[in-house]
Amino acid sequence: MANENEIDLSVNFCGINLSNPVFTASGTCGYSDELSDFMDINALGGFITKSITVKPRMGNPTPRIVETDSGMLNAIGLANIGLDAFIDQKLGALNDLCPIVFVNVAGESIEEYKQVCQELSYRREIAGFEVNISCPNVSRGGISFGTEPKVVEEIISEVKKVSGDKILMVKLSPSVTNICEIARAALEGGADALSLINTFTSMVIDIHSRRPVLANRTGGLSGPAIKPIAVYLVNKVYTEVTKETDVPILATGGVRNASDVVEFLLAGATAVGVGTWNFVEPDVTMKIIEGLKKYCAREGVNKIKELIGSLEAD
Amino acid sequence: MTENNSEVKKGKFNGIVHGNERIGEKFYRLGFDVNGEGGSLLSGFKPGQFVQLQVSRAGIPPDKVIPSALSDVSQRDIILRRPFSFCNIEVRENSTLCEILYCVLGPSTLRMTTLSGGDTVSVIGPLGNGFWLPDGRKKVVLVAGGIGAAPLEFAGKYLTKNHSDIEVIVFAGAKTVNELPFEGKLDDISQNLGYSLAVFARYGIESKIATDDGSAGFKGTVLECFQQWYKQTDWETGEIVIYGCGPEAMLAKLSEIAGKEAIDCQVSMERRMACGIGVCQSCAVECKTPDSAKHENKLCCEDGPVFDSREVVFKI
Ligand SMILES: Cc1cc2nc3c(=O)[nH]c(=O)nc-3n(C[C@H](O)[C@H](O)[C@H](O)COP(=O)(O)OP(=O)(O)OC[C@H]3O[C@@H](n4cnc5c(N)ncnc54)[C@H](O)[C@@H]3O)c2cc1C
Ligand SMILES: Cc1cc2nc3c(=O)[nH]c(=O)nc-3n(C[C@H](O)[C@H](O)[C@H](O)COP(=O)(O)O)c2cc1C
Ligand code: FES
Repeated sequence: MANENEIDLSVNFCGINLSNPVFTASGTCGYSDELSDFMDINALGGFITKSITVKPRMGNPTPRIVETDSGMLNAIGLANIGLDAFIDQKLGALNDLCPIVFVNVAGESIEEYKQVCQELSYRREIAGFEVNISCPNVSRGGISFGTEPKVVEEIISEVKKVSGDKILMVKLSPSVTNICEIARAALEGGADALSLINTFTSMVIDIHSRRPVLANRTGGLSGPAIKPIAVYLVNKVYTEVTKETDVPILATGGVRNASDVVEFLLAGATAVGVGTWNFVEPDVTMKIIEGLKKYCAREGVNKIKELIGSLEAD
Repeated sequence: MTENNSEVKKGKFNGIVHGNERIGEKFYRLGFDVNGEGGSLLSGFKPGQFVQLQVSRAGIPPDKVIPSALSDVSQRDIILRRPFSFCNIEVRENSTLCEILYCVLGPSTLRMTTLSGGDTVSVIGPLGNGFWLPDGRKKVVLVAGGIGAAPLEFAGKYLTKNHSDIEVIVFAGAKTVNELPFEGKLDDISQNLGYSLAVFARYGIESKIATDDGSAGFKGTVLECFQQWYKQTDWETGEIVIYGCGPEAMLAKLSEIAGKEAIDCQVSMERRMACGIGVCQSCAVECKTPDSAKHENKLCCEDGPVFDSREVVFKI
């Protein structure tokens, strides 16, 4: 068995060397140091902020969450402090961090995405943007930007123009007919990395009141319930779209331990995000990093990179 | 009691259960000890603050003891922690004894009933901001609806132990006698006012109970009971502060009454919480701002759960 402390957990993400492949996912770890009572943000491979829009947003009415078996639905409605407050109050704490920092960007129009990216494009605190294309497109009656390949390509190419040298990562929605088409459209538009998956649109009904539990009627399903679907989609996009390129995949969906991370690496992910489980165990990412060392030591893996996309063929 | 707790460190700790006593049909009192760093952090716990309790690994009671309304619900897996306030803490030399008074309502609280001496529970805390004592207030009126009595029991103890010059009275109400979370044969109590609730009487606090159907104490709502008392008390409005905890509709009315009488009033709000630590944004409480045309959302877990009642836009 190899020595745990000699194991190399580093991975290369768009040319940047990360100390390990573990990220915290957007909307589950605040804007910067909110979880610092529970974990050391500097021990992470990557950190992704809550979605930022130009203006502050109050979000949806409550109830905004409901628990289901092995998962939860959320309809937060992109509640956030807005771009100016983010720059004034939060950006400073992101300076000089070890993990690669992405700002998750949301909007109701292509212009809004561009404005957020443009204003942050020269900030040295961040390495890149994670573009959340699962937002409702107001000019098209609220259907999600992320469902139409043409729209995805347009949005990414427009954002690319104003993003300077920042890494552009596109976060894909799983609620689409063919995720590979959307992934290709994002790459056509100039994406440097892909992030998948966001939550699945779902509904829970209260059988006493005979109404949906969430005030928004529907919400996004996350947590362990979605993990097998996420593994499948990551593997599909990896084998059909990114394998022959140098575009890395950040995989997210239902991760709660090191074994889950290894599964995603085998499926083709370069890095793995933890979302919902931060709520349950806010120190989970620290435990996962330790768990990865133990897994590698047990299995005789010296460099975790070797696992990426190494799923055995039949 | 301070208004802002956000600088106090939070943590995740294990507690060792030492008791889980049934009170009436639906209520239990869970006691556990937290040692070490957790014990010392929780020793500063203020009434109205809360913890996020993890009980997903606790067992499910045998089918025959599960109330029929919960038999389907009992099959649900739990992943999220659940928020609970403490009804009492006792600070000891090497540990803090914490007590939760809870009502069995769904999958987590059903599982909690199976905890017994020696079991381990995981808690995250202390969370949120508790009740506070505004300058000049010397009389505290506790108004509890149902299980809302839990944090107010601790408030009664905290106030009387830490302030010799403060007077406290409690009004506790429910639809019917079985829904009052207290020990003893409450329906035997004939007097409307006195020291009928032992958990308050032990701190010299007068209590008054109300039931909608008159099965114990005053017949009517706890708010009617409070209003009747308020008409004839010699406590001055300017020295009173009300602490309310209960269903949101009750708090909304309490806030309206307090507003009309110009009494200071604080309410403990409840929202569904995923994290309890300010990162998921699920627990929004709509609040008024100085600019009357604009409202903002505050977080129940971080900015509350206790709010000044004038600030809250109640959802009823
Ligand atoms: C700050 C705070 C302090 C609390 N302190 C106590 C306490 O001291 N003692 C106690 O017994 N309970 C307390 N609660 C309530 C407690 O958290 C819930 O009863 C518990 O989560 C129920 O879990 P469950 O899995 O058993 O049932 P669930 O299935 O989660 O809920 C049971 C029922 O309650 C409803 N419900 C659940 N959560 C909420 C909510 N936040 N607001 C409105 N309705 C809801 C559900 O719709 C369902 O009908 C507190 C809640 C908060 C926010
Ligand atoms: C409460 C909550 C809020 C979220 N907010 C955002 C968000 O603002 N932007 C975004 O792109 N994804 C958001 N997500 C999605 C997560 O980043 C993640 O993609 C998804 O939850 C799946 O991972 P998980 O199963 O580990 O939670 C949110 C998820 C949850 C549960
Ligand atoms: S419960 Fe997550 S922010 Fe309040």
